[in-house]
Formats: sequence, C-alpha cells, structure tokens
Amino acid sequence: MNPTEERPPFRGSWGRVYAALALYLVLLIALFTWFTRSWNR
Amino acid sequence: MRPLDWAVLGASLAGIVLYGLWRSGSSRTTSQYLLAGKTMPWYAMALSIMATQASAITFISTTGQAYADGMRFVQMYLGLPLAMILISAFIVPRFHSSGVFTAYEYLERRFDAKTRALAGVIFLLSRGLAVGVSLSAPAVVLTVILGWPSQWTTLAMGALVVAYTTSGGIAAVTWTEFVQMLVMLAGLFAALLTVILLLPQEASFTNALAVAGAAGKLNAVVWRLDLHDQYNLWSGLIGGMFLALSYFGCDQSQVQRYLTGRSVTQSRLSLLFNGLAKIPMQFLILFTGAMVFVFYVYTQPPIVFHPEAMRALESQPSYEPLSREYDRVFQQRRAAAQRFDLEGFRQAQEQMDEIRSHALTIAGQAAGQGRVNDTNYVFLWFVVHQIPTGVVGLILAAIFAAAMSTISAEINSLATVSMVDIYRRFLRREAPDGHYLAASRWLTVFWGGYAIVTALYAQNLGSLVEAVNRLGSLFYGTLLGVFVLAFAFPRVGGTAAFFAMIAGEAAVFTVWHFTGLAFLWLNAIGCLAAVAAGCGVAVLGRRPQAAG
Repeated sequence: MNPTEERPPFRGSWGRVYAALALYLVLLIALFTWFTRSWNR
Repeated sequence: MRPLDWAVLGASLAGIVLYGLWRSGSSRTTSQYLLAGKTMPWYAMALSIMATQASAITFISTTGQAYADGMRFVQMYLGLPLAMILISAFIVPRFHSSGVFTAYEYLERRFDAKTRALAGVIFLLSRGLAVGVSLSAPAVVLTVILGWPSQWTTLAMGALVVAYTTSGGIAAVTWTEFVQMLVMLAGLFAALLTVILLLPQEASFTNALAVAGAAGKLNAVVWRLDLHDQYNLWSGLIGGMFLALSYFGCDQSQVQRYLTGRSVTQSRLSLLFNGLAKIPMQFLILFTGAMVFVFYVYTQPPIVFHPEAMRALESQPSYEPLSREYDRVFQQRRAAAQRFDLEGFRQAQEQMDEIRSHALTIAGQAAGQGRVNDTNYVFLWFVVHQIPTGVVGLILAAIFAAAMSTISAEINSLATVSMVDIYRRFLRREAPDGHYLAASRWLTVFWGGYAIVTALYAQNLGSLVEAVNRLGSLFYGTLLGVFVLAFAFPRVGGTAAFFAMIAGEAAVFTVWHFTGLAFLWLNAIGCLAAVAAGCGVAVLGRRPQAAG
C-alpha cells in the first residue's frame, strides 16, 4: 500500500475496509445457506 | 392504468429528469461534459453504478426468474464484492493517477495505439449491439402487457434519454441515475410490501416461506459444483467475480462512473458500497418473485402469462381439456397449501409445472416458434392485475427508471469512446477543446439515434435479440485479460497484448461453440487465455534478443 495514499474515512486502513467487506460476503453466504436449508425442502 | 397511476408515473419521470438537469449544471469543457470535472461524491457514483447495472429487463425478469426457477440466480452476484475489492485496490488508483477519460486510453499509455483501438472497437461493437436491445426489450414487454404501441414507447423513452444525456453529459446521467435508483428501490419495496399484504390470512409469513420452499423457490445457495449448471456457489464466486471484474474494470459504461470521482477515496467508496448493497438488493428482488409465486398459490394464475401466447393457445383444440386439468390441479394445490400438506402440495406443483410446460410448447407451436418463455411477463401481469392504484404507477416508474438509467449510461459511454479513442486519437488530433465538446454532443445524439433505430428494428428480430445480448457479453473476459496484462505483467508489450486479445476471443468463441459450459465461466476462460497468450508471445518475442 502506498504510504502517501489517502486513508479511508473509517476502519483506519483500506486493507481493513477490504477485509470487512470480505467478511461480510462470508456472512452473507452463511446466511443464505441457513435460509436455504431452513426453508427450501 | 388509472389516472392516479398516470400522475405518479408522469411526476416521477419528470422529477427524475428535471432533478438531473438541475444538479448537473452546464458543461463548458470536455472534461466537465465527459468526466463531470471530477467532482462527483461517492454516494452519487454508488447509486449511479447500481442504476446502470439494473436494466428494466433485469428488474422485470429477475422476479419472473424467481417465480419459475427459484432464488438461485442471486449466486451470480456472489463474486461481486471480491471484484469490488480488487478494482478498488489495483485499478482505481491507476486510472485516477493517469488522468484518462476512458479505460482504453490507459491501454495506449501502457501498450500502444493498436491495442487501445482494438479494445475500443470491441467495446463499441459489444455495447453498440446491446444498446438497442436495452431500449427495445422493456418497450416490447410494456406493449404486450399494457397495449401501448411499442414504437411510441421506444421513441418517447429514447428521446427523453437522448435529450438529458446530450444536454448535461455525464453529470446529468449520474444525477438522474442517483434519483432513478431511489425510485427503483421505492418501487421494489412497494412491490414486496404489497405482495406480502395481499397474501390471504391463512398464509402467515412463515407458512408462505414454507410453501415457497416446498416448491424449491428459496434455493438461495447451491453448494454442488456442476460446470454445466449456470448458477451455483462456485460459478457465482469465481465466474461471477471475473464477470464483475470485466464489467466494472474494463467496460467504459461503468469505468466512466467512478472516473468522475473527486478523489480515489470517493471512487473506491462508491464501488465498495456497490459490493455491500448489490447482493441484498438482488435477494429482495428475487424474494419478491418468490412471494408472487406464493400469492398465485392461493389466487389462480393464467396458464400462460404472455398475453399473445395465451391467445395463440386458446385458439388450439387442445386448450379446453388442458385448461380444465389446470383448474383441477390448481384447486388441489391450493387445498394442500391450506391444510399445510407440503407433500401433497409438492406433487400438485409438479403436475402444474408439467401442464404449464405443455401449454407453453403448444402456444409456441401455434405461433410457429419453439417453446414460449413467459418469465418476463409474470411480474408485470401481477402488477397490472393485482396491485392497487397508485402503486402501479410507482412500480412502472421504477421499470422506466431502470431502462432509462442503463440506456443513458450506454449512450454516454459509447459517445465518450467514439470521441476520445477514435475521433480525437485517430481522426482529428489537434483541435480546440470547444470542438471536442461539440463533437461529444453530436456523438451522443448519433448513438441515441442509433439506439432508437436499432430498438425499433430489434422488435422484429425475436430470438435474435437474446442471441445478440449474449454475444455482447462474450467479449468481457478478453478485455479483462488485456487489463490484467497491463497492470500485473510489466514485461508484456503492445504487440503481445494485441495478439493476446485475439487469442482470448478465439478461445472464448471455441469453448462457447463446442461445449455446453455454463456462461459465467467464459469470462474466466477469456481472461486466462488472453493472459497466457500475452505472456507466451512476450516470452517468444524476447528469445531472439536473448540469443543475440
């Protein structure tokens, strides 16, 4: 990461923002899996 | 359509255009006209990006898709957040720091003029083929359902879009898309809320979910890997990521949105917001379709939703017995749902599916075609026949907004690439900025006129429309491949990149023609083939020097 780069407005660094979005995707997949297994029978 | 619906529809469309023109101001330079002077905030770009992506036919047919095939289509978007991360990290800073107007202009800085020209032409070819379809498809559906003359719907929608796109440039496009996306979201929530409220009292929300699930409509995730299955977790994560990388990283209709950002941070935030909001939005659209299915478990739906196909079916001698059988099985299915007998419901559902499939085949044969596909007509049928006055106007406004946002972005980006990558680069290199500004406006009018004429002609092309649409997306993987070479392989030169694009296209067309591979994987194949070919040609090109 370029040290002169602008910081994001939250979470301190872009790496952390990207990690948060990736984690969100994992949670969405988990949620969809639960939804499918609970209702789609 | 009641007067209140007309009032809501008219006020929404007028409000959208006037707001866009008011916010955009006047453009005095090419930079202002094509890049909004790089002043756009993240939230305007974010909703603009989402609006460009959501076309009318997506809005109409996604709900129908859930009705017919369940919610598994949502998996196509699972790779999108990963693509947003990669584009934000690696592509946005490069485009911003290089000060380019188009993605393809960057290719000349990195490679050479011929690579830029080929990429620009591939974009003009694929997007130019799609723009008429974007305009004609909703007009055809609205005509069939509402009886409006399709030529007038096409002309009215096309003229309105061309007027504000030509007048205000990218700023008008972005700010109108900002409001169009809000109208789309309002229409989506209104539709979902209405369908849930319209469910009969015996169908509680949990019962509705159980009934939809018993018919296989709530299959949001399929973990099984099958390369010939269009939508599963793996094709969505991997193929969908390549598709999103190509679309958001190399397609000028999207790249131009975030090039207007006032900083790298603003552009990144707009893309990351898209990664955050897109999947839940698609989930809600599909869930609305699943709830429309539940509504029609308790209220008898037509055997075929396409009005013209229905008329063709009614003229056939086999219609009467088929219709009686359909009525009987519907009653059986409803009774099973009412007593919550899910096994009985499933059996009746299978019979209904068989009868509907048979009816669609007969209707198609009567019209001299193959099997009719009525997926695009399910949601509009529900809107027109079941939804209360006022809400119909709002939902139609959302569909119009979706159509207009995609068309304006396409026209605007086609004009930009024609002006920057072809006219200014190859035809008229040294001219005052005012000349290029005027050329940009004229090219917008040209592409708008082209879209309208193609749309009017496309209405008679039938299934070719779908073929052209699918053909257009065959180019994405190769375009992504050449950008991967540009960003990640510094030793690959212009000639290698040029041949990489040709090899990538050859690979995609070969796989597409000779295998039944699911469509999403073609993006990955095009990209990987282009990267491999580019590296191969670069290595071969260096050998004589090394030997010498």
